[in-house]
Parts: sequence; structure tokens; C-alpha cells
Amino acid sequence: MKRNPLILFFIAAIVAAMLFAGVRMARKNRANGPTNGQLMGNLAPDFELQGLDGKSMKLSDFRGKAVLLNFWATYCEPCKIEIPWFVELQKEYGPQGFQIVGVAMDDASTEDIAKFAKEMGVNYPILLGKESVGQSYGGVSVLPISFFLDRDGKLIAREFGLQSRSVFVDHIKKALSQGQAVQAQK
Amino acid sequence: MKILLASALLLFSAWAWAQDDLGPQGPVVKMASAPVVTAVQGKPATVPLSFRVSSGYHINSNHPKSEFLIPTVLKIEATTDIVIGKTTYPEGQDLSFAFAPDEKLNVYTGDFNVDVLVRPLLSVQPGKYVVRGTLKYQACDNSACYPPKQLPVSFDVKIAKAPPAPRKNPAQSPHAH
Repeated sequence: MKRNPLILFFIAAIVAAMLFAGVRMARKNRANGPTNGQLMGNLAPDFELQGLDGKSMKLSDFRGKAVLLNFWATYCEPCKIEIPWFVELQKEYGPQGFQIVGVAMDDASTEDIAKFAKEMGVNYPILLGKESVGQSYGGVSVLPISFFLDRDGKLIAREFGLQSRSVFVDHIKKALSQGQAVQAQK
Repeated sequence: MKILLASALLLFSAWAWAQDDLGPQGPVVKMASAPVVTAVQGKPATVPLSFRVSSGYHINSNHPKSEFLIPTVLKIEATTDIVIGKTTYPEGQDLSFAFAPDEKLNVYTGDFNVDVLVRPLLSVQPGKYVVRGTLKYQACDNSACYPPKQLPVSFDVKIAKAPPAPRKNPAQSPHAH
């Protein structure tokens, strides 16, 4: 069967256009970050993870409190800079209904994570992260990542990489001011 | 024919553009193609492997300063024909980064080399053999870190026949002339 060269050219043009459009879309999604427009303003995906003490904990257990959900790892040096700030912020804003939840996203043993947390004087729960939980927040391809939840459990902000302490304070104040304060279950 | 060529050119251009645009994001460690090292049966030889950390990133050296940091480690798969010997890593650089200006980390940036000692067995047939492994590394930039990655590594070793052992002269026969 003889093929018309013009038809082949037409098919090639369509394939090229599809490639172009696909790449443009992928680039746009990448620039917007994994969660933009998908999670912000919505209820934070709930999860249940095991803590360093072996007990399971749900994110929704903290409903009624403003929450800073921090994905980190023991190998992450920038995370080590944030943690002492978090310890201070937990002390400062905890009485107002603020709770930090750390999710360790590394392959280190529970003992090593516990040792690290003890050395850093962590005063908030550390949960052992799972890939699926990271995926539900748009994927954890970089650490640290922090999400800020208001008292209703809605995501109001996120930060990728190390930020200044004042950025965290601003988000915490905003999270505390939004949503309804209820008696947390835990 | 011209239309066919134009079609091919169009598709190739789109593909090349897509490759460029969707290029690697985040930290990347690449391995330069390793030279083919010739090793004689039963004799050790060093294979120099060259790696490059993409600009703006660093990876921990083989001896990072904290037990919690993940060292860069080259793991070579065992082979039946070649004994893999010592892996020699370069000294890292002691550098401070914006996230902790008072602390120095021992890292690799830019280009670095890792040497692998190989020794073909005496019994192995001369020829070209492929050795495979992985370079495990964990990268960070000035404000964030990335999950550990494993870079596939492979290099060729050309095994040459060992020269025949020098013959000892037989004892002279008293009748030899």
C-alpha cells in the first residue's frame, strides 16, 4: 500500500504538537510545586503513623490545634537547623493550641532516629514516615518540607527547604488564628 | 522524499526539545565513561572512575563528619573472573554552607575520582569483561537535601594473557656443546 507523504507529515506534526503540549504541561506542574491548587485550602490528608514509642498516631488527633507538619530526615543538615527553632516554638506557642508533628522520612533505624531526636532535645512527636504519606502530600522529593494546618485541619501554607525562623512564626500565628479551637483528643 | 525528511526533522526537533526541557532537575551525579583498563591475568590494576556533581549541589564524602550523614559509597558487584580490591575515595572538602555557616561538612562538589583495584584471576580467559556496581550518594544544596540515590556504574576491564614464566635454563649436560 502506498502511503501519502503528506499524511505522514501531518501525523508527524500532530505527534510533535502533542509532545510540545505534554512537556509544557509537565513544566507548568513542576513549576507550581506538587501541591499547589490541589491541597492548599483543603483538609490535610489524614494518616496514621507509628511514633518512636511504638504507638500509632493520627494527624486528625490534633484537630482543634494549629499544626506544623514537618517532613525531615536524620541525614538532612538544613533540618538540623530548623529543629531547635521548632523546640522553642513548641514551647512558646504550645499553650495557645499549637502542635508540631515531625515525620521522619529516612531509612535510618528507629533507634537512630530516636537517638537523633534525643540529641536535638525534640519536645514534639516524631512519627516514622512512609512513602505513601509523602505521596499524599505531593511527594517528598526534597527535605525539609513543612505544612501548616489551621485548627480545622485545613492546609494554609507550605515551605520547601530551610526558611528563616520568622517565616515559621508568621505561618504559626496565621494557623492559630484560623479555624475553630476545640479540645484536642490528644 | 522531501516531505518525509521534513517529517523526520520535525519529530527529531520536538524530541530534542523535550529532552532538553525535561532535563534533569535537582541534584545529579554523572559518571564519565571510564577508560578501558588493561589488566594482566593474576595482576592487579587500578580503574579510575570519574564522577561529576551538578553545579550548586554537594554530596557527602566517603567520610562525612556526622554518623547521621550518608556517605558516598561505591559498591561493585562481585564477579567470578575478577577479584575486586580496595576502593580508594578522594579526600572531601571541608565546606560551610548557608544553612550552617559555623559548621563544616566534608563533601564532594564538582568533579571527583574513585579508584577501584581489580585483579583478574590467573585462570580467566583473556578478553573484555564488564564490571558493574552502584554509587550511593545523598545530595544537598544550600537550603535543602534530597533522598539518597543510587547511580549505576559500569566499566570494562580488558584482560590480557600473562606473559609466559621465564624458563629456567636446564642444567648443562656435560656432553652438551
